[in-house]
Amino acid sequence: MWKEIGDRESGKLRPNSFITRIRSNRASSLHLSNHKELVSSHRGSVNSLQVDLTEGRYLLSGAADASLAIYDIQRATDYEAGGLIAKHKPILVDKQHQNGHKYAISTAIWYPIDTGLFVTGSYDHHIKVWDTNTTQVVMDFKMPGKVYRTAMSSLATSHMLIAAATEDVQVRLCDMASGAFAHTLSGHRDGVMAVEWSTSSEWILMTGGCDGAIRFWDIRRAGCFSVLDQSHSQLGRRPPLADKSTTKVSTSKARAPQRKVGSGSSSKHSGTSKILKHAKGSAKQRLHPGLLTSQDRATAHYGAVLGLKATEDGMYLLSAGSDSRLRLWDIQSGCNTLVHYEIVRLQTSKAIQLAVTQDSSIVFLPCMTSVKAFDVWSGQSRMTLQGHYENVNCCFYSTHDQELYTGGNDRQILVWSPLKLIPDDADECDRRTEQPSAVDEDNWSD
Amino acid sequence: NKHTFQTKNFIQKYISLYGTRNLAFVSTVIGYPTVAVAGDRKTTNFAAGDRILIPNQVFLKPYPFGSESDPKNLHSMETNNTPSTSRKRVREDDDSVPESNHSLSLEDDLIFSDTMVALQMMCAQFPRIDKVTVEPFVLQSQLYSSVKDRTQVDRELESLRREKVLRVFKLNTGQDDHALMFMEDYLKQMKRAVKSMETKKQGVFPVFEWFEVHVIHSKPEPCIGHQELLSLLSVGGKVKDEDISLLINAGLLTRQLIDSEMYWFAIPNIGSVLKGITQGRKELLSLLNRKKYKEMMLAILEKKRLRLSPLDMRFHLRDLLGSGHLKTIQTPS
Repeated sequence: MWKEIGDRESGKLRPNSFITRIRSNRASSLHLSNHKELVSSHRGSVNSLQVDLTEGRYLLSGAADASLAIYDIQRATDYEAGGLIAKHKPILVDKQHQNGHKYAISTAIWYPIDTGLFVTGSYDHHIKVWDTNTTQVVMDFKMPGKVYRTAMSSLATSHMLIAAATEDVQVRLCDMASGAFAHTLSGHRDGVMAVEWSTSSEWILMTGGCDGAIRFWDIRRAGCFSVLDQSHSQLGRRPPLADKSTTKVSTSKARAPQRKVGSGSSSKHSGTSKILKHAKGSAKQRLHPGLLTSQDRATAHYGAVLGLKATEDGMYLLSAGSDSRLRLWDIQSGCNTLVHYEIVRLQTSKAIQLAVTQDSSIVFLPCMTSVKAFDVWSGQSRMTLQGHYENVNCCFYSTHDQELYTGGNDRQILVWSPLKLIPDDADECDRRTEQPSAVDEDNWSD
Repeated sequence: NKHTFQTKNFIQKYISLYGTRNLAFVSTVIGYPTVAVAGDRKTTNFAAGDRILIPNQVFLKPYPFGSESDPKNLHSMETNNTPSTSRKRVREDDDSVPESNHSLSLEDDLIFSDTMVALQMMCAQFPRIDKVTVEPFVLQSQLYSSVKDRTQVDRELESLRREKVLRVFKLNTGQDDHALMFMEDYLKQMKRAVKSMETKKQGVFPVFEWFEVHVIHSKPEPCIGHQELLSLLSVGGKVKDEDISLLINAGLLTRQLIDSEMYWFAIPNIGSVLKGITQGRKELLSLLNRKKYKEMMLAILEKKRLRLSPLDMRFHLRDLLGSGHLKTIQTPS
């Protein structure tokens, strides 16, 4: 460690590689934090966690008892055990607010630009926008079904849309600037459980549904432009452009828009073998070219898609499904990279929140009562973080401090950080009298 | 030390003499016939004349055969196995600290580095079932238990599937169960099913041939959409709706609950085997769950016979190890 600092000073090691080396070292050795603890005052399972993106200072959590809490994770409220454990109490807890949610809060996210606003979505069919300083509900959107997830794009400069994934088949975009709905995206055949904005473009949205499909939408156009299919696979990373040997293949990669109108609208009706019999002269609606992908029934998972996470470089997407699989997709080619993560079982009823480190080397996945850290490219399990008493629902990795926050059904929020070396001087100084105590003194010494 | 034996006869005699209790492999990987004998307390039932293969990392050592009752005499060929017995434990759904993952299951002293070798070996070890003749197939979870790197397995399976060396079938026995069968074996099984169907219905149906020629050979995926199926079959001739019902009745196509529009390829006539798989799994897991500490010695376990499943214990053990429901732990003594 010191040698590396010396190298950086002398210029042998570039600052960026120094930073990434330290960060990856710290990220690969996470333990239940021995110096930091969050005092959770939730009375229901913690469903959603997010640290704000601007300063990395405030953690927002939403729980199943309709309560929210904000923690300042950098300044502790008090210290315990002789100053060794910092306890953070929530700054803001809201349970009985008259405009608050009535049922469980399933998602709570910060406004990406600053911490003045945050957005919550709940099983009571409402999405509310809150002002943080006054704790008042500023805007309220009513959805047709339970809200599973909301997302706002952190790259957006020209829109302030909240994408809402509900148990309704349509994904709605709510506009914060006007208070109305911007548009709806249809194409899924069942409720939508996961929604993520792309990390490379402010217009691209990725959604995962209970039907197992993952769709990519460009919100400026109608319909989705891509549906991920688990049988389209490539063996690992794509070969660089110079080497055009096709390691990736697919028999029917780009689904060409169906020219036959009669067959095109068949998926809207549930008849199967009657397709050929309906001649083109029948009065079926012509489908808008953008909606042709609604017939694409490719699935990314054999069950529901429970969580999505895009890597920060915008090249890969991780998706967790209720078939107990975590898949890594190459976004550009739309192929499954066939990395196998060893998972035995995932909880299937609730959406889960995944986390990825910034250099996309480790992915944290809540598997039942533990959080497993996998190496993204080889699929091997690096660490198993066992600390919760019940199922873990969400996790968030803070790049700033290399800490992982996890929340579960046991109403606790646990902090996982690289171990901090407790300095020995803490034992030597007696805090009360400010005199250095002898080495063999303890609390009962005279 | 490698013992090289010149004649095949010797190998056959060797196996027939010591056949049932020893693990013997013949390899042509290195280019000349070699007999690798890896023995241990794990035993496999090998009948004389079985087709067997050796993974290319095993070396030989002579050791006395026949002392089956004394497992300590037989040591394995892998370098770091200590002669110890092992126990099987039912893994809870989420596991705590990962135990030593040293694969000590039945035949696996030998951790295969190659998926193809593992596949061939497992096909060769496919149990013989009395009532039905089924060509050997391998479950994907069994592969995971023998080859260490699962990503590698997935990728090799994908390339084998694309080259049409084997076919992948999605089974309805569980959430993510897949069966792998070599193309030749599948075609044999299919012909058998078609023949029995044709004798039952007393007619020759061209749709089966169209199916084999046009659909099987051009579509390596496990499922096919209705439209595509019709268009591929039409290449052979005029297709009627009853033809698809024929295919479903013969067991070549099936539908699953996931999607009402898709047909899934299926292995015909293995219904009883699939039932045996699910029941055997349940029986084995309940057997272990009833024990005091939910674990059992492997040597004792492998000798048991499952009541409800026609498949042998080794098949089920590999399957459950690969899917994560069981794990093995080394114990001293």
